[in-house]
Amino acid sequence: MVERDKVELLRDILFTEDREFAKKIAERIKIIEDTIDEREKLSEKVNPIISKQLDDFVEEIPKKLGPTITATLKEEIRKNKEEIVDALYPILGKMIKKYIAQEIKMLSDNISKQLSTKKWSNKFKSWFSGVKEEEVILSNLSVSSIEQVLLIERGSGILAASYSKTETIDEDMISGMLTAIKGFVEDAFGQKNQNLELIEYELYNIHLQSFVSYYVAVVISGNYSLEAKDKVQDLIFDFYDDFMGKNLDSLFSSDDKEKREKVSRVSLEKQLNKKFGNAII
Amino acid sequence: MQLSKKIVVLGHFGVGKTSLIRRFVENSFSDNYKVSIGVHITKKVVEFEVEDTMSLILWDLEGTDDIKTIRDAYLLGTHGVVFVFDVTRPSTFQLLNSDLDIVKAKLPKTPLFVVGNKVDLVVVSELETLFKNNNIKTNFLTSAKTGETVEQMFLELAKLIK
Repeated sequence: MVERDKVELLRDILFTEDREFAKKIAERIKIIEDTIDEREKLSEKVNPIISKQLDDFVEEIPKKLGPTITATLKEEIRKNKEEIVDALYPILGKMIKKYIAQEIKMLSDNISKQLSTKKWSNKFKSWFSGVKEEEVILSNLSVSSIEQVLLIERGSGILAASYSKTETIDEDMISGMLTAIKGFVEDAFGQKNQNLELIEYELYNIHLQSFVSYYVAVVISGNYSLEAKDKVQDLIFDFYDDFMGKNLDSLFSSDDKEKREKVSRVSLEKQLNKKFGNAII
Repeated sequence: MQLSKKIVVLGHFGVGKTSLIRRFVENSFSDNYKVSIGVHITKKVVEFEVEDTMSLILWDLEGTDDIKTIRDAYLLGTHGVVFVFDVTRPSTFQLLNSDLDIVKAKLPKTPLFVVGNKVDLVVVSELETLFKNNNIKTNFLTSAKTGETVEQMFLELAKLIK
């Protein structure tokens, strides 16, 4: 045996175990590589861990972040009471209105069941209201239409946005005068939390819907029936709901009142046009 | 978007509140005195620079000898106040400081200008002595009749509340 063969033999004896070990390691690495490469295989392994972590996280949120979130919300609500109430106002208004409307509808249905024809319904209306039956029939046929809508800052009477079908005198001045009239009437009767709701003149009615920081004035021509009032209120609530949503976004955009970007007049007027422009009441 | 601000003009009867506003808005004057009832609202757009304007919504409140009786509803959301008195009638400025205290209590932190009107009817140097002796401080002395410092007064207030 030559010297070289002897060395080879010795190496075989000494490193056989190491080679086996290295082979096993290589096999393990291959399995890991395959697992990582194949998404499904990786998911099988990782998903239960993530799922467990998420479960723990969800479980921990109320304990760890709950007090902080509650404190922050409380503070925000305390600081911005008016805006929060303003945002809730249309939602509550809608709920109450819908509830009342439903109750009235049920009552009306009950009455209708007893009075089989429209003729009787008109007679009934006529008896109750003291209005001639012919006039009741006419009022059923007549239509009303929205001429102008103004969104007005409640205290100052400053116009925030407007929609108008026809050209009128300066809308800033109308807003100011409406606010003055509203303020005078509400002040004169000394009833707190009571609002002037309607101004009538000849063929026009001005419906005033008050909220906390703003009020909406809608000028209606034609017969302003209860049904029309109901539709106008729905339109106002829908519009104000959107507006307050945008207002809240702006409110929480910055802690600094000065830095908060106000909802733009252009976008408000687009919204007014969209809501009231083609509305049928 | 054009900025809008509410300015309330108040003071005793016949001091020239409506005339001041008419001079500022329409650049006109009338000797016919008509008592204002309730409130009258007018608007004037002022231009500070090109494309930098402001709408002043001017609330002309009816005159009253007792400032306390001014309806709070008319003062809500006010951005600036002009308190007018008549320099020819001491009864309109004898209680000026206590009148101003009432206004300031109703409108805290709101910029307030004290304006002595009808200055064209008096000798200014005598008036200044009278004011000095009676601890009366004014921001402007105006004349709705001649137009003296009327526009300047409203523009100064507009700049202040901008």
